[in-house]
Amino acid sequence: MLNILILGLGQCGNRVLDAVNHEAFGSGGTFAKYYSRQKFPASVKTIAINTAINDLKGLTDTRAKDRFHVPHLHGVGANRTLGKKVFDDNKEQIMSEIDKRGSFELIFIVTSTAGGSGSSFAPLLVKELKKAYNAQIICIAVLPFREEGSIFLQNTAFCIRELVAESPNGILLVDNQYLKKYAGDIKSAYDKINTSVAMRVLFLIEALNSEMLMVTDLGDLKTVMNGGIGIGTMGYYEAGKDGTIKSAILGSFKPSGLLFPTNVYNEGARAMLIIKGDKKYLDLDLITKTVEELSTDVGQVFKGVLIKKGRPKVLSLFTLNSVPELERIYADAADAIRFEMDKREQSKKQLDGAFAHIDDLEPIY
Amino acid sequence: MLRLSHLVVVATILLLSSLIMTAAASSDYGEQIFERNLNVGEGVEIEHSITIEVVDTTEDIVDSAEFCISSPRAFARTVKVFMGDMPTKYETYNGACIYLDVISVHDETVLLMVTGPKGWRVTRYYEAEDAKTESESESAAETVSVPELVITRTLDRNHVEQGETVGVTFKIKNTGNGTASEIKLDEPLLREAYQENCPSNLDDIAAGATERVSYDLKIINTPPGTYELGATLLNCKDESGAAYSFESLSNTLKVTVKDVQVPTLEIGITIESDDNTMICGERFPVTIGIMNTGNATSGRVTIKSHLPDDVRVADGEIDPVYESIKPGDYVEHEVMMIAYEPGKHVIKMDALWADDEVSASAEFWAEQSSLATYYPHILAAVPIGLLLVGIIRRHKEYSY
Repeated sequence: MLNILILGLGQCGNRVLDAVNHEAFGSGGTFAKYYSRQKFPASVKTIAINTAINDLKGLTDTRAKDRFHVPHLHGVGANRTLGKKVFDDNKEQIMSEIDKRGSFELIFIVTSTAGGSGSSFAPLLVKELKKAYNAQIICIAVLPFREEGSIFLQNTAFCIRELVAESPNGILLVDNQYLKKYAGDIKSAYDKINTSVAMRVLFLIEALNSEMLMVTDLGDLKTVMNGGIGIGTMGYYEAGKDGTIKSAILGSFKPSGLLFPTNVYNEGARAMLIIKGDKKYLDLDLITKTVEELSTDVGQVFKGVLIKKGRPKVLSLFTLNSVPELERIYADAADAIRFEMDKREQSKKQLDGAFAHIDDLEPIY
Repeated sequence: MLRLSHLVVVATILLLSSLIMTAAASSDYGEQIFERNLNVGEGVEIEHSITIEVVDTTEDIVDSAEFCISSPRAFARTVKVFMGDMPTKYETYNGACIYLDVISVHDETVLLMVTGPKGWRVTRYYEAEDAKTESESESAAETVSVPELVITRTLDRNHVEQGETVGVTFKIKNTGNGTASEIKLDEPLLREAYQENCPSNLDDIAAGATERVSYDLKIINTPPGTYELGATLLNCKDESGAAYSFESLSNTLKVTVKDVQVPTLEIGITIESDDNTMICGERFPVTIGIMNTGNATSGRVTIKSHLPDDVRVADGEIDPVYESIKPGDYVEHEVMMIAYEPGKHVIKMDALWADDEVSASAEFWAEQSSLATYYPHILAAVPIGLLLVGIIRRHKEYSY
């Protein structure tokens, strides 16, 4: 059985982690935690790490002992520089808390790239985990709404760069801006995004830990994540009543099922397809044929088939050769930083001009 | 003159008194047997056995007459009866009484009224003076041989227990000058006793001879007490056929019950409770005590219990066996019991030894615990409580 650790960093990471824990209760709803136990498909440990204690208190399905507060008032205020310092100051406690959970073969780090704690902790934590564990480390990086502000954009830019620099086994992008259009209001968008990510993560864990008709394992995952620039995303599709397995596979490549806007057929480097469903729906020949067709466009496609009751569900996981959306983000971030610098310069000049009015004067009482 | 009038008044009073007494006598002293003038020396025989002879008369301020009364098995007795006095009582041997009342005395004649048991009649009037005259004339002519028996009765013990035998010996000595013949011995009976070999007819006893006769008096079921053994009566005749009667002195015999050595057990049951009310399902102590109140050590004593179906022994031996219990000893054993059903329960215990047994019983009430009323609520509350505890624990587990 795989030993898996899921770390939720910062407010966003905590929420996604809480959604994973909630989904692990199954279909019990809000009160499931009062009468049921989480049923992870593998040996899964979760830790929510945050400097803001209120964010930790806001979690509902994560056990108290799985919430770790890094003490620094009530957060670092989206200041990554401060966040890094806080991490360095509390690095040993954080690693000790992780170490209590045992050893792992696969570690997920879920974080927002825009915030303070998560975005600053994530690259440093990857570095520490790589030193401490011989495990695959997958970062699930959540990109912010673009209108959230220039600080979030610049945090995203620097966070992703630092993450890539620390070379985790892979970075899976989740774009709030992209997914918002499928949700509606902000609140339900957040909930839906968190749930979507949670379902995909649990699907992947189940596939990696189960005996399958066609096998994908941790090694395949590593190979997939080594493809392209090591950055990718996930897609998902659940077949309708009359849908075929082929349509379900192709559906998982569609934009509506992806967590990050990309054209898989053009930009995909490697992919992994995990197909789950009742045996009567799973035509292996058709699956093989479809996968072969996809391979001509996407490159290497690993496939796994998991026999479970229900209509076919397909999880797709890609790495990309190029990420145009990231380029746009970085451009916007650069503009935002410059704009911020200019504005600060002007403000400073304006303030200095104001002070100049009283340069030769002294207060009279 | 004064003296004469005085006498007349006294005489009148006495006469009236005698009339009143006569009237009273007829009711309180039985029925009249006879009323008749008798001269000195004359006699009356009643029921062929009782004789009353006028011995003397006296005329004085209060007139009186003297009588000699005799009856079988009783000494002849001389009594003086005053006119106007209460009738004089004479008790015959068999306990029946007659009453003598002098109505009037004149010269040597007395008007005598005798009352007694209903149906008694005068069987003979006679003149004793004539017989005496004849007897004197005969004795003058020749020496008369008369037997005189002296009877002495001895008991070999004066204190006897039930079931034992008393040896009775008669020493009969003829101190007269004539042979006693046709001697009949009449020995009084003692209640619930048996006279073994007691002779009723004895051989003739010559003048100066002494005879010894004995028999066994077996005391069978004579109730304990001190008894006066009545006089033994000897009736005999002399050579001429004249009858004589002699009697011994009475004896005292004390009869007691033989002290039997037997154990006597008493059993008691003590339920330790203020009001003999127990709670169903709760243990309560019961003490069974056995005491030997007899005067002998018992043999093996087996205790046997009789419990209601819904009363069980929770702890202890309820049917122990005691090898023996000494006189005055008390043994007890305690058991813990449980009553399962409400209501009245009776515990019965038997103590069995030799061929005897004794029983005791004790009753108590059992009632449901007041807590039992709330059992349904408690049963309902327990899972709810556990559920709440579980929810609270889970809530705390997920609260930060």
